[in-house]
Amino acid sequence: MTTAVPPATDHHGEHESTGVESRKLGMWAFLSSEFLFFGALITNYLLYSSRDFAVGPTPAEIYDIPFTSVSSFVLLMSSLTMVLAHNALSRDDQSATRTWLLATAMLGSVFLAGQVFEFTEFITVYGMTMQTNPAASAFFVLTGFHGTHVALGVIMLLSLFGLSRRMGGLTDRQYMNVELVGLYWHFVDIIWIVIFTVVYLLTAAPGAG
Amino acid sequence: MTTTEPITTTIFRRPKSETGFWSWITTVDHKKIGIMYGYTAFIFFLIGGLEALLLRIHLASAESEFLTAADYNGLFTTHGLTMIFLVVMPMSAAFMNYLLPLMIGARDVAFPRLNALSYWIFLFGGIFLYSGLLFSAIVPPLGNEGVPGNLDPGDARSFGALPDGGWFLYQPNAGGAFSPSNAIDFAVLGLQILGIASLLSAVNFIVTFFNLRAKGMRLLRVPVFIWMTLVVAFLLLFSLPIIAIALFMVTFDRQFGTLFFDATAGGDPILWQHLFWLFGHPEVYILILPAMGIVSEIIPVFSRKPLFGYAAVVFAGAGIAFLGFGVWAHHMFASGISTVAQVGFGLTTITIAIPTGVKIFNWVGTLWLGKIRLATPMLFALGFLTMFTIGGLSGVTHAVVPSDWQQTDTYYVVAHFHYVLFGGAIFGIFGGLYYWFPKFSGRMLNERLGKIHFWLWMLGFNLTFAPMHWLGLQGMIRRTWRYDPSLEFWNRLVTLGAFIIAVGLLFFMWNFYVSKRRGTPAGMDPWDARTLEWSIPNPTPAFNFAEVPVVHSLDEWWHEKYEEDKAGRPVRRDGAEATIERLHEINTNPPHPIHLPNPSYFPIVMAAGLPLIAYGIIFHVSLLGKALIVAGTLLSLAALIGWGSEPLEEAHVEPAHT
Amino acid sequence: MAEEHHVAHPTPAQYVKIAVGLAVLTAIEVALFYINDATQLGWVNTAALLTLAFLKFVIVVGWYMHIRYEKATVSRFFTFGFTLAFGLYAIVLISFGVLAAGS
Repeated sequence: MTTAVPPATDHHGEHESTGVESRKLGMWAFLSSEFLFFGALITNYLLYSSRDFAVGPTPAEIYDIPFTSVSSFVLLMSSLTMVLAHNALSRDDQSATRTWLLATAMLGSVFLAGQVFEFTEFITVYGMTMQTNPAASAFFVLTGFHGTHVALGVIMLLSLFGLSRRMGGLTDRQYMNVELVGLYWHFVDIIWIVIFTVVYLLTAAPGAG
Repeated sequence: MTTTEPITTTIFRRPKSETGFWSWITTVDHKKIGIMYGYTAFIFFLIGGLEALLLRIHLASAESEFLTAADYNGLFTTHGLTMIFLVVMPMSAAFMNYLLPLMIGARDVAFPRLNALSYWIFLFGGIFLYSGLLFSAIVPPLGNEGVPGNLDPGDARSFGALPDGGWFLYQPNAGGAFSPSNAIDFAVLGLQILGIASLLSAVNFIVTFFNLRAKGMRLLRVPVFIWMTLVVAFLLLFSLPIIAIALFMVTFDRQFGTLFFDATAGGDPILWQHLFWLFGHPEVYILILPAMGIVSEIIPVFSRKPLFGYAAVVFAGAGIAFLGFGVWAHHMFASGISTVAQVGFGLTTITIAIPTGVKIFNWVGTLWLGKIRLATPMLFALGFLTMFTIGGLSGVTHAVVPSDWQQTDTYYVVAHFHYVLFGGAIFGIFGGLYYWFPKFSGRMLNERLGKIHFWLWMLGFNLTFAPMHWLGLQGMIRRTWRYDPSLEFWNRLVTLGAFIIAVGLLFFMWNFYVSKRRGTPAGMDPWDARTLEWSIPNPTPAFNFAEVPVVHSLDEWWHEKYEEDKAGRPVRRDGAEATIERLHEINTNPPHPIHLPNPSYFPIVMAAGLPLIAYGIIFHVSLLGKALIVAGTLLSLAALIGWGSEPLEEAHVEPAHT
Repeated sequence: MAEEHHVAHPTPAQYVKIAVGLAVLTAIEVALFYINDATQLGWVNTAALLTLAFLKFVIVVGWYMHIRYEKATVSRFFTFGFTLAFGLYAIVLISFGVLAAGS
């Protein structure tokens, strides 16, 4: 019988294929493009952090390295909980999956709270807004976009969590969704790995933090 | 406890229409989506063409009062934005959408709903961009208040209300300080929206190419047009994020007071140029490669010979794209970049001529000793070959840095890019329209009218753009509404040429209208072609292939009809007619039910949220603006949730057997 | 799900070990930061921090994102995107004199 099974999930060997499921391949392609996205933002920041401005302060002068180190650690650990969630689902342990999904979302939220706190400190205590100088603009837009990505990830994680609660567990179809959200989440983490080192540690002015 | 029941949305019933208006609104069928792209792009082509005619009427006199300076700026900016983003790209998308599954032997793309989403985002983005004409605030550029020729508050709305900073939106000229009118924001945010559509398409096409090829269609058996589709998808995938960031930076500068490009605060205008052209250069290859792919399909069919050096043409296309990422600063030779940079980018730019030349020679090699049929598609393909080569040659002169210093910002550059984009991309696209018209309409376009169209365009196009080479070298500057009176004679001829182009287009439109209704029925394979899309009836059945083909070679369809004699000449197989009969029969009356992805409301609803957000950003100071941002976000989010809950297939739908 | 080729996945215990490794690398980075603050190591500091960051990057991509266990197509995409981004932006920064001048 000739059928047109939904192309994205058809793997009857009826056609040439990479062997990578379509949605997963699509997510990897999208994430590859995000390197160009965040790369531009990081480039902006590196360009402007190498210059002096009439109005200060610049981000490099006011970084709180201990604080950022802790929030970086939190985000890193959220990748662990994410991968544990995926692993639990592969063993069909729906309850553990829910626990780890929630844990990931919560760690992500803690990270975001840390970002909000950091931004507030910069604005209210040091008087640096995104309108202070180009380096500040670059910093806020870079970390702002990263934070937005984290927030979107948290929403997706909570959606999966809620779905699992409502339906009593995740189906085969949602298995791929968990993997996709996981890839996205880890990507957001590795971007932060780069940001923490290149933006914070390497441009911080001597004596900062 | 795991469930295996798909979750279905219970709020709105799943759309079921197969014909009529709603079937188009909710379609996820790549063919319908391709057709919608085509019609929409054509309407924008008419609009962009009218803009060009207005510009040319004005430029027929050196001191014309036909347009004000403000009108002029708005029109040339919008003409450029329209032709690039609302005509050539979506026209290419029309072909890629329609043909990608057909040429690889698939029933649809990998993500049909995402495909629909891309189209609706494009449509709404284009409308949004133009809505600046109605909604933009009238504020003259800095220092131009009260200067005659500007649009001042209180003036009646005119073309000056359109985005007016050039399509490349150089900062800080197009920034908040010097262009306080929010007309620019309609371009900036419009492009942002359009970019999303293209990025989603890119992901879709890449996955489709890699995962949905018919059995036996190995990589080096894939038609050249499909290879170009893949290469373009990669170009889009990796260049769009860069312009997205650049546009965000401009938006933040203009709306939220950041200082990325504020020179007085230490911002760097050159940063804009780098980011813009990092996208902008790959963009021009995005514009030309689909047409190159189209021509690579047409020339072999109408020479009755396989494409000369198929693998070389494919690799050259990939090579052009790859090298295309390394040449962007050749748009900045006159911007004060270092000598080292100029030399470096000059060298990489010259290198691109190599793979381009490979393709040109291979097309010529295909023609050599072929049995040439000068049907209209072939005429346009030959027109492409000649006109694009001329444009490529002027491009090579641009690669020579000192020569480029003379040419920059003159009409010489205008001549160059119109030769490659009009003489190249548009000619190629129209060749494709004449060639594939039977596939989506079941009829043939009239040959006589087609030839008249072609020759009027050859005349009109060259009359319009050839003189621009020497006008530019004689000092006629781009983007200014007045020029030296000594150049008026050639400008008059240019304007005449533009109107001849317009007349030629009218012949096409008449041809299309009449042929769609009363044209000669096409039969299954009217051109005796080489690729799989011609192995199914015209117009294409909804399910594409009743039997998914198995591929044994490049030009599979040709080899099913022809074998080679000892001298290598094609000889029609004995069973060819029977094969055609059989394929026609099973695809008209499929023996088994075929399940297709169901239509869906969610793509169009989700797309609708984006312009709302964009309007909200422009007017964010007001409460209405803030409300629009929230409303648009919620709408798109709700559509996304609905989409996620809706399985691709809900019920078996029997296609209507004709 | 039929696409899932069930290759050996790391066990939860191994995932935790990897996380500990990542935490240690981060701690080293931070320690280096303060050492550099005091002793101004110059390019050595830059090289070391970038290496540590790269290690963390590769570990997360390889094991958490599972790229080690995926088909080659996936890692080719990803590497290509990264390399392209790195290359293009490096050229931009060099042309602005940022990288040459040292950070």
